[in-house]
Amino acid sequence: MSTTALGPALSKKRVLICVGSGGVGKTTVAATLALRAAVDGRGSLVCTIDPAKRLANSLGLSALGNAETQVPSSALEPLGVTARAPLHAMMLDMKQTWDDLITRVAPPDQRERILANRFYQSLSTALAGSQEYIAMEKVWELRRKGEYELVVLDTPPTAHALDFLDAPNRVLDFLDNEAAKWLLAPALKAGKFGLSLFNRSGYVLRALSKFTGTEMLQELSSFMLSLSGMNEGFRERARGVRALLEDATTGFVLVTSPHPERMDEAIHFNTLLKQHRMEVVALVVNRVHPLPTEAMWADAATLTPTRRAKVEETLRELQVLAEQDGRGIAQLQAACPGIPLIQVPRFGLDVHDITSLWQTGRYLLGDDTF
Amino acid sequence: MAGLLDKRLWVVSGKGGVGKSTVAAALALRSARAGRRTLVCEVNTQERISRFLEHPAAGPEVTLLEENLWAVDVRPQEAMREYGLMVLRFEALYKTVFENRLVRYFLRFIPSLQELVLLGKIMYHLQEKLPDGRWRFDTIVLDAPATGHAISFLSVPHVLVQTVPQGPMSREAQKMRDLLVDPSVTAAVLVALPEEMPVNEALELHAALKDKVHIRTHAAVLNQSIPERFTEADLEALVGHPELHRVAQANHDRASLTVLAGTKLERNLHAPVFTVPRLYLPTFGRDAIEQVMGHLEALVMGEK
Repeated sequence: MSTTALGPALSKKRVLICVGSGGVGKTTVAATLALRAAVDGRGSLVCTIDPAKRLANSLGLSALGNAETQVPSSALEPLGVTARAPLHAMMLDMKQTWDDLITRVAPPDQRERILANRFYQSLSTALAGSQEYIAMEKVWELRRKGEYELVVLDTPPTAHALDFLDAPNRVLDFLDNEAAKWLLAPALKAGKFGLSLFNRSGYVLRALSKFTGTEMLQELSSFMLSLSGMNEGFRERARGVRALLEDATTGFVLVTSPHPERMDEAIHFNTLLKQHRMEVVALVVNRVHPLPTEAMWADAATLTPTRRAKVEETLRELQVLAEQDGRGIAQLQAACPGIPLIQVPRFGLDVHDITSLWQTGRYLLGDDTF
Repeated sequence: MAGLLDKRLWVVSGKGGVGKSTVAAALALRSARAGRRTLVCEVNTQERISRFLEHPAAGPEVTLLEENLWAVDVRPQEAMREYGLMVLRFEALYKTVFENRLVRYFLRFIPSLQELVLLGKIMYHLQEKLPDGRWRFDTIVLDAPATGHAISFLSVPHVLVQTVPQGPMSREAQKMRDLLVDPSVTAAVLVALPEEMPVNEALELHAALKDKVHIRTHAAVLNQSIPERFTEADLEALVGHPELHRVAQANHDRASLTVLAGTKLERNLHAPVFTVPRLYLPTFGRDAIEQVMGHLEALVMGEK
């Protein structure tokens, strides 16, 4: 029986979002959670960003694409279990998902214009938070269709936690900005694009164009005008995304490595999630080095001298790493009181095959513990 | 092989968590020790390098850490201000323009402007001269963002040159691009771990830097390598001690993976690979950086 906080989360939540810095094992944790939920009878989808080909292969898929694909039951054979509900997986193609969104919400006569605009291109690929936003928008869409009982999102490696949490607000802000309305209103009335914005012979705008060039400002205002046609649809969805993040059926799983050097990022993330009123279901500390036991030291002492030296050297190294991890974990627990902390040991090799996912799952759900 | 000292801008990148900052700190320290005035730049992050070297955080101003070594955390707001001042000349004018609500709104949505000013600040320091005509900094070590972000960050000048209408922004971008693509100025050092994903990302990064940004990979660093310790005979002898066998097997597997990763990097990057062994120190500070630096001697100074 499961004893960790992820047990109830897997049976009750509708959306789980795995967050954390790059290289901590978010993809593995996300795939594992979806796998366990499906085995336990909830139809689930893992939506990943990371093109981990071996992960796809381990799920019996040749590759993951932007379409949701059902994981064949043969993929679970090595585990000796059968999933009681279907497991799906997909890899989010950011650009495609943005294009789909625009196609859905833009008025037909504006679509091509927007898709071809260079500001749109950068909005969809380069604007801080836009990747994060589109990933969540996709989850919102999936959740709305309601085909899955649980959607697990593996988020992009985020350089700044705030980009992620702030993304819906930023999009709303972009659409709601008073200054933009004030500027655009006369142009809209006049039925012409852009130029009127800069006919106000303001010295601020003149100085600004010295900075960016006039053409750039004209193009930007023209882009914003073409966006204004889809404001309502866009805004409604952005509000939906924001509501989804705060929803009681949505939970965050914060994944981190145990190294003290990396801990401040996890602590910072947790603080921000709290500030944004988002529920952290669990802190998963991944790849923890277990402390060598007394029995191992005693056993090592029985070996021939050269082997004993090699083994003891290895145990000493592991001891240093385990103590480091221990300090990091203590620091994390102290900084995040009241949030369940789950440790997953570092396995022999990279976690890629289905058996290792399963093994990870046993720690996540508390079937195995340190 | 020629050492990195022949180049002026050293770009360090790789997958998240592989030890980019560690390698950047070690390279910068070695450059400073070689008597080069060295600036190490972090980009809008939680500063690590000054802490590794056991100095107070540098912050957004260029700060002298120790002899020949300066550090800076390049942050968007401050970089934007410096850039704005350079273009507009006067503080008062800057305030009127940049602290205008409307302007701030626009600036946020001008594509890649943030990256441009961040990179712009770094490139500015690269060209900065002392009153006597020498470079203010002989070497700039850029602790670049992780793979995906690094590619978009470093491609910004190229993208802007291609897409933005002629104007001040495209002129700035052009200047930056010329420096970035000059192989006598810029060299990339890719960092990986002996694991599948970090190695694959290093290869992707190499290809993207080559094709999109036109930056040459100078070398790769295989960090946290595990040297061979247990022979097949050792492992066999340990079969009767299951717990110890597991530990030894794991060590052996990681050592094999280290060899595999090194070969894969060398074959695909056509560049030398420097291995830095995993360190077992209670705390990660100056001692660690000095040790890593020792393993990167030939990378910086060249093979004798």
